[in-house]
Amino acid sequence: MKWITARRRHPLAGYAVVIIALALLGVGYAFVAPTADQARADTLAADAEATEVDIANGKQIFTQSCMSCHGEDGTGRTQEETGNASAWGPDLTGVGAAAVDFQVSTGRMPSMNPNAQMPRRTPVYSDQEIADLAAYVDAEFGGGPGIPEQAPGDAPERADYASEAEYEEALETYEAAYESYIAGGDTEAGMKLYMTNCAHCHSWSGAGGALTDGRWAPALTDATPRDIYEAMLTGPGAMPVFNDDVLTEGNKQSLIKFVEELDAEPNAGGPFALDRVGQVAEGFIGWTVGISLIVACAIWITAKQRAHD
Amino acid sequence: MSDNQAPPAPKALRGVGNFIDDRFHLAKTGEKNLRKVFPNHWSFMLGEIALYSFIILLLTGVFLTLWFNPSMAHTVYDGSYERLRGVGMSEAYASTLHITFDVRGGLLIRQIHHWAALIFVASLVIHMLRVFFTGAFRKPREINWLIGVAIFTLAIVEGLFGYSLPDDLPSGMGVRIFQGVLLSIPLIGTYLSFFMFGGEFPGEMIIPRLYMLHILLIPGILLALIAAHFMILWHQKHTQYPGKGRTEKKVVGTPMFPAFAIKAGGFFFFTFAVITGLAGFVQINPIHLFGPFTPTSITSGLQPDWYMGFLEGSLRMFPNWFDFDIGGYAIITGVLVPGLGFMGLLFGGLAAWPFVEAWITGDRRVHNVADRPRNAPVRTAFGVAGITFYGVCWLAGSNDILSHVFQINLYATTWFFRIFLILGPILAFIIAKRICLGLQRRDRETLEHGYESGTITQLPGGEFVEVHKKSSGETVHVLESAKGKDYTPEPTVDANGVESPASRKPMGRLRSRLAHWYTKDNVSFDGVEPHTGHHLHHGTHAEKEKVGQH
Ligand code: HEC
Ligand code: HEC
Ligand code: HEM
Repeated sequence: MKWITARRRHPLAGYAVVIIALALLGVGYAFVAPTADQARADTLAADAEATEVDIANGKQIFTQSCMSCHGEDGTGRTQEETGNASAWGPDLTGVGAAAVDFQVSTGRMPSMNPNAQMPRRTPVYSDQEIADLAAYVDAEFGGGPGIPEQAPGDAPERADYASEAEYEEALETYEAAYESYIAGGDTEAGMKLYMTNCAHCHSWSGAGGALTDGRWAPALTDATPRDIYEAMLTGPGAMPVFNDDVLTEGNKQSLIKFVEELDAEPNAGGPFALDRVGQVAEGFIGWTVGISLIVACAIWITAKQRAHD
Repeated sequence: MSDNQAPPAPKALRGVGNFIDDRFHLAKTGEKNLRKVFPNHWSFMLGEIALYSFIILLLTGVFLTLWFNPSMAHTVYDGSYERLRGVGMSEAYASTLHITFDVRGGLLIRQIHHWAALIFVASLVIHMLRVFFTGAFRKPREINWLIGVAIFTLAIVEGLFGYSLPDDLPSGMGVRIFQGVLLSIPLIGTYLSFFMFGGEFPGEMIIPRLYMLHILLIPGILLALIAAHFMILWHQKHTQYPGKGRTEKKVVGTPMFPAFAIKAGGFFFFTFAVITGLAGFVQINPIHLFGPFTPTSITSGLQPDWYMGFLEGSLRMFPNWFDFDIGGYAIITGVLVPGLGFMGLLFGGLAAWPFVEAWITGDRRVHNVADRPRNAPVRTAFGVAGITFYGVCWLAGSNDILSHVFQINLYATTWFFRIFLILGPILAFIIAKRICLGLQRRDRETLEHGYESGTITQLPGGEFVEVHKKSSGETVHVLESAKGKDYTPEPTVDANGVESPASRKPMGRLRSRLAHWYTKDNVSFDGVEPHTGHHLHHGTHAEKEKVGQH
């Protein structure tokens, strides 16, 4: 530590300490900060097989993990009825298969805490189980909007296929369906619809944003075309419903095209895109990197070895 | 630099030199100016950052004008950016896409232009803070301070207008807020808006008009102001920090040529390099991702550039509780006060400060030696309170981002900022003043006893003491500069105990009370002799006054 002692009174020592402290703070934060849940909920088998549904199995799953909050007849239960502050749920009458598919395939249901907004998670059930559950809810509690099968859902996962060849084939089919669905939209219409109806909550880039009362609009980066379609159809949580009369099927397709293409768009302005946070991040970098470096240079070129006091 | 005589120039060069000199007599003025002395301290370089980034803005801006088309006429994009092909947009937006994707180096120049704008305004701020905290705005430099405030104001407006030019999503939203603030002005607001936009928002006129202001009028005024700023600086010379041989009359530093010129030149390239480095590696204002503006578009997660952030914040924080109407005409204080009032407060306050301070202290002497911030505790505390106020407004401008990134309730952030906007500056004032006084006290200690050498010795009696050593002559000079700060020019009470007529009027009373408050807590250095080791008068200025009155 002798070299530190020797340089302790160097004219630049104070600045060096500040810079090191800031750097440590930054690195420390990066470790502590929650990393965004990047995991795509892709663990499910291809949709193509999900045609045969087993309503009985759906009923069994419902009884096991949904009934405690939503009630046996699906009419919902209040906190008073369950006698438990963290077990209640709304009426599912008429929500339809789309709502169940959305809620369960994005991992929101079964809810861990009904008093807080659920984040997107890896789903608890397989595609087949979700289809069974959706069919059961739809049949038992009054039908609602069905699952928009035309919009592609999750991409196939290697783990769900016996052989590489089968997987490749499924992936190819999926990608073709995805491409053709996206190609069917119109960017200009989609952009206008998105900017008018969604951007004030989900932000221009789909990065999401804060809402009132501690709620937030989540990022759309992990949402599949089908998730987006179902979200519009069913209006989860604080989000309004955009049914097929408000935004037609074609409108929805254009909107989804815009969201998916913007998300896939590479950043053109340099390797550091600042997470597309925009001006706040730019200002932050301008001050912490830009001006700081230049001022450090000013200090350096005007510093002269000062006689020891 | 007499010890540094250059060898005689080659004959041919001398011939040219003589030819020019015979006609313009440059040698004499040149010699005088080249020997001009610049004090050597990093904080005197801050203004230069502003100059250099302005030059970069001019150069890159001219490049952009070669392709930018400031027209709101409708067009359908068919350039090389695939995603937006076939989309209807304005010529302005399409030409910015053209610069980005089809002009060689266009994106880089756009990014340099934008990063330079951020650095430009930031350097103005830190330069201004340096001048404020060292009291360099005092007589005779008030005019230059006012010019500086004008440059700062215009720079912000220039940035806002530039940001509005590409007619992309954030542009349009910025212009929309600008129009909202115009509309909130009572009586004439609507007319102003119609005048500015040539009709309803957004119309077809606004971008050509902003363009004219952005590339011609405002840069022209800025250039003139910067020139005036430098001429006055040249004439009055820099202030300098206290030190050996530095007096109100004599400047110590590096001569303009060659030493300072080389440093400054190097510094220009460093500034350019940092800005270009940012432009090369960090994406800024990706207009191609934002898409064109349409009047129905609204989005969260978009902010103005940082220098408009404090206004955005004040708009977000200020409640609508005070809106009222007169005979059916609404007075929207919720927009008017934060939109125009806060800006007026900032720029008006900055402009008025030198005169207010001179009026309070009654100090109308010429000052060429800068204050150390600790030796003007109340001014420093005011400055820190101002920074806190600005900082809270600024942070509040990004409350949606803060709320989303750090998962804090949005309403909670609004209330936090509202409360802290009032509490923060008060706390900052008190804390900053305490710190100044503490530093002053330590300075007086050092002046009297020398510095702590870090060597511990044991006295014969067994006691351990740290050996104090004499400070260098330089340090003594610096520390002694604290003397005489509690200056009051005209005594309010004459020899017979009669108050002067001026100080008996209400304004006079207010002034003398303020003057008292301004200096009362300063640690007095009167009668402190270097290295005497004695504690002399350790009371504050106010206590001494009391003693004197008895
Ligand atoms: C711990 C309690 C709880 C459990 C368990 C639970 N839910 Fe929920 N569910 C809720 C709450 C609370 C909401 C309302 C969420 C909101 O508004 O953000 C909800 C909402 C829903 C909705 C959306 C209703 C609408 O109007 O769009 C569906 C569909 C749903 N749940 C299905 C299920 C299914 C299927 C299961 C079982 C796999 C399940 N839930 C398990 C509490 C629960
Ligand atoms: C009022 C604000 C609001 C608007 C407007 C809105 N949303 Fe949402 N959106 C939300 C909220 C809140 C959630 C989360 C719901 C929950 O989990 O309880 C959400 C969730 C979603 C999700 C699920 C994301 C995921 O990955 O889990 C998608 C997709 C979505 N919205 C798309 C849209 C689209 C498309 C539009 C425009 C047509 C839109 N939203 C308009 C508030 C909004
Ligand atoms: C006097 C010289 C200047 C000229 C000729 C000029 C020219 C231009 C032009 C043509 C544009 C639009 C093109 C585009 O965005 O790609 C532009 C944008 C802009 N200008 Fe300037 N400008 C000048 C000075 C300034 C100054 C002094 C500032 C800052 C204080 C500034 C800030 C901006 C900003 C923020 C933009 C938006 C840039 C973007 O969207 O990428 N400009 N300028």
